[in-house]
Amino acid sequence: MERIIALLRRPRQNANVARLRRRKNAAELVFRNLSKITTALVAVGYLWMILIPIPPLSQPVYIDENALQPAQVNTNWNWQHVRQADTYLNHLEGLRDRNATSEQRAQFIRDEFTKLGLSAATQNYTFTTSSGQRVSGVNAYAIMASPRASGSEAIVISASWLSEVGEELYNLRGISIVLALASFLKSYSLWAKDIVFVIGDNYFDGIHAWLNAYHGTIPPNLDTDLLEHTSGVIWNALTIDYSGHSFSHLGVFFEGLNGRLSNQDLINSVRLISHYTGGVPLVLYDHLDAHDAPQSSLLAKAPEFMRRSPQFREFEFRVRNVKRHVSYQARGRPSGAHGLFHRFRIDAITLYAVPAVGPHGFFALGRIIESTLRTSNNLLERLHASFFFYILTSSGTFMKIGMFLPSAVLVGVGMMFWGLGTWVEAGWWKGTERVSTDLDDKAKDPDVRRARPRWRPRRRPVLPALVVVLATHAAGLLAFNLITTPWFPQNQITSSSILFVVLSLLPAVLITLAPSHPPEAAPISMLLQSFNLCLASTVISITSLLNFSLAAMLAITLGIPLLRSRISSPQQTPFQPLQSPSRTPARLVAYAAYSMLAWGWLLFLPSEVEKAVWNWEVLGVWFAPFVCIVYAPLVLQAGLVRLCPS
Amino acid sequence: MESSWFLPLLVSCRLLLAFTPIPFTSGLQYDHQLSSPLTSYSRLKEGLWLYRHDVDPYVGGVFRHSPLLLSLFSTVLPPLPVVWAMSDITGAWALLRIWRARQRVRKGSSSRDSLVAAVYLLNPYLLLPSLALSTSTFENTVVLLTFMLASEGKQSPALLALALSTHLSISTFIIVLPVLMLLLTSPVSQLASPRPFVGTSVRSAGKYASEFVAYWLVLFGAASVMAGGRWGWVRETWVQGLYLDSPGLDPNAGLWWYFFTEMFDHFRPFFLMVFSVHLMIYILPICIKFQHDPLYASFLLVGILGTFKAYLTLADPGLFLSMFVLFPEVYPYLRHPIVTTLLHVHASPLLPLFHALWVTEGRGNANFYYAASLVMGVAGGAGVVDACFAGMRIAIGDIAEGERSKWEVMQE
Repeated sequence: MERIIALLRRPRQNANVARLRRRKNAAELVFRNLSKITTALVAVGYLWMILIPIPPLSQPVYIDENALQPAQVNTNWNWQHVRQADTYLNHLEGLRDRNATSEQRAQFIRDEFTKLGLSAATQNYTFTTSSGQRVSGVNAYAIMASPRASGSEAIVISASWLSEVGEELYNLRGISIVLALASFLKSYSLWAKDIVFVIGDNYFDGIHAWLNAYHGTIPPNLDTDLLEHTSGVIWNALTIDYSGHSFSHLGVFFEGLNGRLSNQDLINSVRLISHYTGGVPLVLYDHLDAHDAPQSSLLAKAPEFMRRSPQFREFEFRVRNVKRHVSYQARGRPSGAHGLFHRFRIDAITLYAVPAVGPHGFFALGRIIESTLRTSNNLLERLHASFFFYILTSSGTFMKIGMFLPSAVLVGVGMMFWGLGTWVEAGWWKGTERVSTDLDDKAKDPDVRRARPRWRPRRRPVLPALVVVLATHAAGLLAFNLITTPWFPQNQITSSSILFVVLSLLPAVLITLAPSHPPEAAPISMLLQSFNLCLASTVISITSLLNFSLAAMLAITLGIPLLRSRISSPQQTPFQPLQSPSRTPARLVAYAAYSMLAWGWLLFLPSEVEKAVWNWEVLGVWFAPFVCIVYAPLVLQAGLVRLCPS
Repeated sequence: MESSWFLPLLVSCRLLLAFTPIPFTSGLQYDHQLSSPLTSYSRLKEGLWLYRHDVDPYVGGVFRHSPLLLSLFSTVLPPLPVVWAMSDITGAWALLRIWRARQRVRKGSSSRDSLVAAVYLLNPYLLLPSLALSTSTFENTVVLLTFMLASEGKQSPALLALALSTHLSISTFIIVLPVLMLLLTSPVSQLASPRPFVGTSVRSAGKYASEFVAYWLVLFGAASVMAGGRWGWVRETWVQGLYLDSPGLDPNAGLWWYFFTEMFDHFRPFFLMVFSVHLMIYILPICIKFQHDPLYASFLLVGILGTFKAYLTLADPGLFLSMFVLFPEVYPYLRHPIVTTLLHVHASPLLPLFHALWVTEGRGNANFYYAASLVMGVAGGAGVVDACFAGMRIAIGDIAEGERSKWEVMQE
């Protein structure tokens, strides 16, 4: 009792001191365990990334927008229309066999549209890339005016001449069904939106040219006519890719330019319609279900019980879906021509008829498209903004943003912690000499005083480290400009080798020329590492929302190399100047590894470089500049940190 | 940095930038981060066109610029990019003069001259609005000129500049008090030795205040004459500028617009009052606490404005960040400069990216952009709070090495 009273009577002024001490202790605790905290954050982040495909993290898909009402209509597409599609197919096959030019094909399609009474036209276009490469073609399109509304809104059904996914080269059946649909849809008066039929030449560039001409955003490297006929704002678009003879499943492609996904409601509606109206199962990409086609590449060498376990089969199936998704999204490449629509706020997907011997054909596909158009026709407002951030692990399950975003962000936070820890560490210096004794007069035992670590603050010259950071990014910008010049692709092997050597050696040479730091100031390597980690963390956190796959790739490639670029940790080896300069060859090897990680793609992935540059110049995919200006300089900075004698 | 060629090089680069057409800059003019309805270049051109065709530009709610800018650009100067470059250079020069006045460098140059100018000219928060031809560039320059003239003790020009700056942007009235105090004392740093305010006399304070009011009234009259003798401009430029009346809800980097898009109409007048009065709350406490160093008080108030202003653009926090260069004595006392920097490093890419996500790509909504502007608000707040406490901590001074373990510094 007395103790309690004594506790209550504790003098009040101590409260603040206690609070301060508590705060100080907490900070010390964090700082002392910084390496453990960082390791834990990064490890949890990576583990989370590995666990993304497990079923418990996903949830079943659902329709968010009530107005869509998918699969709630009676469809009228019947065998007569299938026959019409077959007729169109015959003509198109004739054109293909005669090796008809783009011009002839487009004219044929335009004439067919005109015969149906639609306002149709063709569009010539030519893209010129910096390497002097010219891509040209002719698109054909037609606009069906909406019988019920003023034509201020539109839906697009499109098909490209080429099919990139399928085994067949030409997307003839896709085009045939668009033509047949044009004649079929015209006879109904229930459309509240204009329907635009577009047949794009080639694969990407035709649709891209058409979209740019439609929206009046013609870039300088595109030479095209203006469109003769236009309609209103396009809300939704369906791209049909049907190249095989028949199909068993309908595959959906939804990744757009620069990692934008189409609204999930659209995919979910098509899934319901495909299932209930067409009787066709919907899959992601051309990945058949684990039960339908056992393709165990991942589990090929696994023990028998794993191969047989349904859980592992399911996991492996989802891993394949996520891998495919990441490979499209991280590079910012659209997975089909639908992705080009995304630039203009149009929700679009590609429906891909997965080739098989049967049982489905024009009949099922026509009904599915008809019903999907009816669903899109119902829309009164834009689909909701919350449904753009997801990972589809299978066609029926998806992950909400909260279930996958933290994985990349945790790695970013771990890097940020370590960077800030390095910054704090750089501000302190453990003096080796005895400090003047007049302060220690009161110390009873001078030996004890001497033995205690004496931390003293030191200067942190920010400017040199900042200059290194800026210079590496400027070098990246320069390298990017060189890569997009005409002479680079003409002699790619020599020019990329030269560029690689220059980009790797020049910073290394320059950093050794830098004046050595005075002992009372923090070494440049520490500050550089701190900035490097903080910047990389910022980049990862910010990209994670825009393009999660890219952020995850960055977290994987940057995480460990950047964290381990300077081997010392704040609490173990504070700062010992005589620690490492003896191992110069090791440092050089490490630097070579870093520069390989940064610029190695110049040497080993020439086709990827070419493709990325083409995507940037023609489609406006940001991946190439991002790698040159953001990613590679960050890795190079880490390499320089390793190279610096710390 | 000490070399004599650096400064001319910088200035000529800035001038060159005004004459070279740079790709991507045409889009900057319509960027919501860089110019607000009150400062936008396209609106300025619209107003000038209306004015030349004898239409009152202040009717119709398009033109919100001050009549002084209208008269400047319709008579003296055409609105060419070089005017913005000159304004930037003048601003840098003013900052340099303030620095010299504070350091009592009468003749010759100090070693940090180039740095001071570079911090103003190369600050992306200031350079980008200037490339976007936002009139906030002129507002910043006039604010700096006010500080410069006040620091150099030129009373009448300083008061005229002060009146001009409140005319251009009404929110700058919050620096009136510290500028008057600055005129009565000196700009030299007194942060380390705080003492009660030692103004010359109450009478001269009254004299300055009345001189300011006189200039202000003259400018007011001139503006009204320029606007064709009508009073519509007061409502369009000032009342709107303070959000006092039917606020324009254009998104910007500030904290106000989203709040008012979400609000029911019948609460609006009350919250408009609260938000506007909120800005005034800071004036007296900061001026009292930093009565020994009014330049520092003005710096803090500029920071407040750069965080909480209505129609905030990046130029407002930019002015605050650039003015940091004037006070190197507080750097060792800043608690979390790297956190503030990192907040800005996060906020500045987040704003345009989330803006694109919402407006261009359509896969986000206003909440995304507002979240980014909240990060910007936190960054601004962190800077001001840190500067404020660093300015007070400097008076305690650096604790001797041996004493450090015995002391525990506390903030209440």
